[in-house]
Amino acid sequence: MKNPFSKSKQGLNIIIVGCGKVGTTLVERLSGENHDISVIDLKSEVVQRVVGDYDVMGITGNGGSYSVQIEAGIETADVFIAVTDSDELNLLCCTVARKVGECAAIARVRNPDYLGELSYLREQLGISLIINPEWETATEMARLLRMPTALGINSFAKGHAELIKFKIPKGNILNEKHIYELRDLKCDLLVCGVERDGELVIPDGSTTLLEGDVVSFLATPVNSHRFFKQIGVDTHQVKNCMIIGGGKTSYYLAKQLTDMNIDVKIIERDNKRCEELSLLLPDTLIIHGDGGDEGLLREEGIESIESFVPLTGLDEENILLTLFAKSCSDTKVITKINRSTFTNVIDSMDLGSVMYPRYMTSESIIRYVRAMQNSIGSNIETLYHIFDNRAEALEFKVEKDSPVIGIPLMELKLKDKLLLACIVHKGKIVIPRGNHTISAGDKVIVVTTHTGFTDIKDILK
Amino acid sequence: MNYSVVRYILGWIMVIEAVFMLLPCIVAIIYGEQQGFAFLWVLLGSALIGCINVIQKPKNMNFYLKEGFVTVALSWILLSIIGCLPFVINNDIPKFTDALFETISGFTTTGATILSDVEALAKCSLFWRSFTHWIGGMGVLVFLLAILPMAGGSHMNLMRAESPGPSVGKLVPKVRHTAIYLYGIYIVLTIIEIIFLLAGKMGFFEAVTTAFGTAGTGGFGIRNDSLISASPYIQWVVTVFMILFGVNFSVYFMLLMGKFKQAFLFEELRVYLGIIFASAVIMFIDMKDIITEVGDCIRHIFFQIGSIMTTTGFSSMDFNQWPDTSKTILVMLMFIGACAGSTGGGIKVSRFIILVKTMLKELNSYLHPRSVKKIKMEGKPLEHETLRATNVYFITFFLIFATSVLLISLEGKGMVTNFTAVSATINNIGPGLELVGPMENFGHFTDFSKYVLMFDMLAGRLELFPLLLLFCPSVWTPKKKLKVEA
Repeated sequence: MKNPFSKSKQGLNIIIVGCGKVGTTLVERLSGENHDISVIDLKSEVVQRVVGDYDVMGITGNGGSYSVQIEAGIETADVFIAVTDSDELNLLCCTVARKVGECAAIARVRNPDYLGELSYLREQLGISLIINPEWETATEMARLLRMPTALGINSFAKGHAELIKFKIPKGNILNEKHIYELRDLKCDLLVCGVERDGELVIPDGSTTLLEGDVVSFLATPVNSHRFFKQIGVDTHQVKNCMIIGGGKTSYYLAKQLTDMNIDVKIIERDNKRCEELSLLLPDTLIIHGDGGDEGLLREEGIESIESFVPLTGLDEENILLTLFAKSCSDTKVITKINRSTFTNVIDSMDLGSVMYPRYMTSESIIRYVRAMQNSIGSNIETLYHIFDNRAEALEFKVEKDSPVIGIPLMELKLKDKLLLACIVHKGKIVIPRGNHTISAGDKVIVVTTHTGFTDIKDILK
Repeated sequence: MNYSVVRYILGWIMVIEAVFMLLPCIVAIIYGEQQGFAFLWVLLGSALIGCINVIQKPKNMNFYLKEGFVTVALSWILLSIIGCLPFVINNDIPKFTDALFETISGFTTTGATILSDVEALAKCSLFWRSFTHWIGGMGVLVFLLAILPMAGGSHMNLMRAESPGPSVGKLVPKVRHTAIYLYGIYIVLTIIEIIFLLAGKMGFFEAVTTAFGTAGTGGFGIRNDSLISASPYIQWVVTVFMILFGVNFSVYFMLLMGKFKQAFLFEELRVYLGIIFASAVIMFIDMKDIITEVGDCIRHIFFQIGSIMTTTGFSSMDFNQWPDTSKTILVMLMFIGACAGSTGGGIKVSRFIILVKTMLKELNSYLHPRSVKKIKMEGKPLEHETLRATNVYFITFFLIFATSVLLISLEGKGMVTNFTAVSATINNIGPGLELVGPMENFGHFTDFSKYVLMFDMLAGRLELFPLLLLFCPSVWTPKKKLKVEA
């Protein structure tokens, strides 16, 4: 029997196995979007905590077991998400779920051994989506190291457009400029958000920029390069990189950086892991030693290194290492935060680019769930939580019969706190003006502080 | 403590009570009774004050377990105070203490009365008296959860405080939907009972009030002799429904979902029915010389067991006259009570299952000191938390029980009267033995004893802790000002 209440509000029945960091983030996000959620975890105290904090049903047990899944209501579930610690258990959970129920299965698989076989696994096991947060984090980091000026880069329209976040340096020509004056630079771009003293503003033409502001803008890669050149900011990619810790993310990052001809140095504490890494990454310099040792860091040239990425398992250690690196030189740093509490404290520190892998995982899953929720078919192409989760950037595909087609933008009744950032028309990026219209087949990028958009028509009042 | 959110929810409680009070007003119109105006005035007052409090939603909706417990306890006290005002205003029960006792007895589904002549009341008052059972049976906060959408996990904190049983589970992922299901099952069962009673040629008004009394496992009737003069058919119908309302509502949900096997294998249900039949057999052997007609004997035994075990408190016979063994069994059944997750009171069958299993485990650990064994319930291992909570509940229960008996005994009444008066109120049953037997009432107690018993009723219905928490000074800490950003 289907739950009669959920249908009316388009909520889905979702089962989440594993209530770790990602699982909890997913519960938090999805329960806010009116879905019926059941969580399964082996540890009862974890289940109790989640059930106490969110309006979900909790089941203690092994998510891979048939009877536990039945108890969680797999027969009526629409989405099944396995995000336990173990890749193999996640795959088993999804396989069982696919046999029992008619649901879309999503699994987290992190082990590098499976990296090349993900599409094979997906096909053979009938899994809808396999996510590898470490790989995605590493990809994002690599992208940042290619353009070290940016604090964050989110790509849209298969990389044709990028949402770039950067901090206006001291004494830059942008200081005390109005946004409409940016037009004189002859770069087609759109400023989507300005953060100053922790406050987020979705700007209009008259907003003034100050030094120290964190500005996010949307443009094509060519235009953003030209823009940075115009305002006198260096954009060449880094030449070398020091990574502390030799975990999975480090491995993925080192691999990608080596492919980009960047010299990589990994400092790892465990001798055995060092040996493993040296086999896996023949072109990378592996150093056996304690990454928290100041002497070692100086010896390995932290003062002269161009980029520094601490990837230890401890957030506190990562933050300290970043602060230390910043104090030694003006190297590009990326800080990875696993447990994202105390965001306001983290924001107030100078940590360079901050990354939250747990959000990246949940983003791709939520994107998938929202697309499923839409009865017409997948409409959301990409989704990012930007500005520390205070806003969402979404890319929609416009279907034939959408109500937004053919009307000049200035005549559309748009919701407040929403910005139409970009239209991708026949593969070309257009920064929209008031007289533009949207046609069928276009992709539209929207930045908004509303949540829960599933269709392009949600932008209308 | 987040006072504003507590005030907001209490405001909603007042609005809901006002809506509920429309029903006795309608009854008064049908029967053309002047007393109905009392309900109208209280209704308007309650609605007005309630609306003022709910009009502005508090900014800070943070809601923790502490707020949940305090809100529930205060809600029930507030409900009872407002609910008793009509009785005082329309002079049906002129004394405030008596009216409050009667209303608390109603909302907590106890069914203990201070009235010696129930039939003298106006129809609208009688209706309200029985209707309080129905409201209190499933709980007002659960009703609130069904209609009022609230954010986050705050729901669960309210539900946990109001729903009886050692551990509170949900039927479906959302609290709101769970509450809707619970009330749905409750309403449907009540309607079925009304239909069965009407089929037994019971008057419509009496059928509705009797059904309310049964559904909430309350026990207020509209006749002085409860159901003694009712026909055997009516008594059987009430017996069956009393037992049905004493069953964990999860069982009905499983049946609804088509999980018949799971429903019938439900451990608590089987123990519950087992206790009923075992007691019936012993009592039949004990009583067969007194009631010679076998059919009558079986009917009275089942009626009384159902009535006491589910903590309803109807009577088909003056069981004060029964032999001692049978009376003892009835008193013991008072403590066991109904299933967790039902509308009944008492310590609950599931808690007893847990306690007995813990005891057996302890016994086993003397034989094999190094043996490791997890206690299971419904086929699942029990959390240490649940075990601990159950043990503490049991101890607290008896502490409150003993203190109450001591306080009541200051009046100088007999031991049996004092003991059963407290056990009949703290377990939400209604009638006890001797001076508080089914043919008697609680009117003869002093005001002090009445307040003690009122406390017992509320403590029993809300499972002790919400009410005890009100007496912890640290709950009432003043609100801290938020740090002002410089």
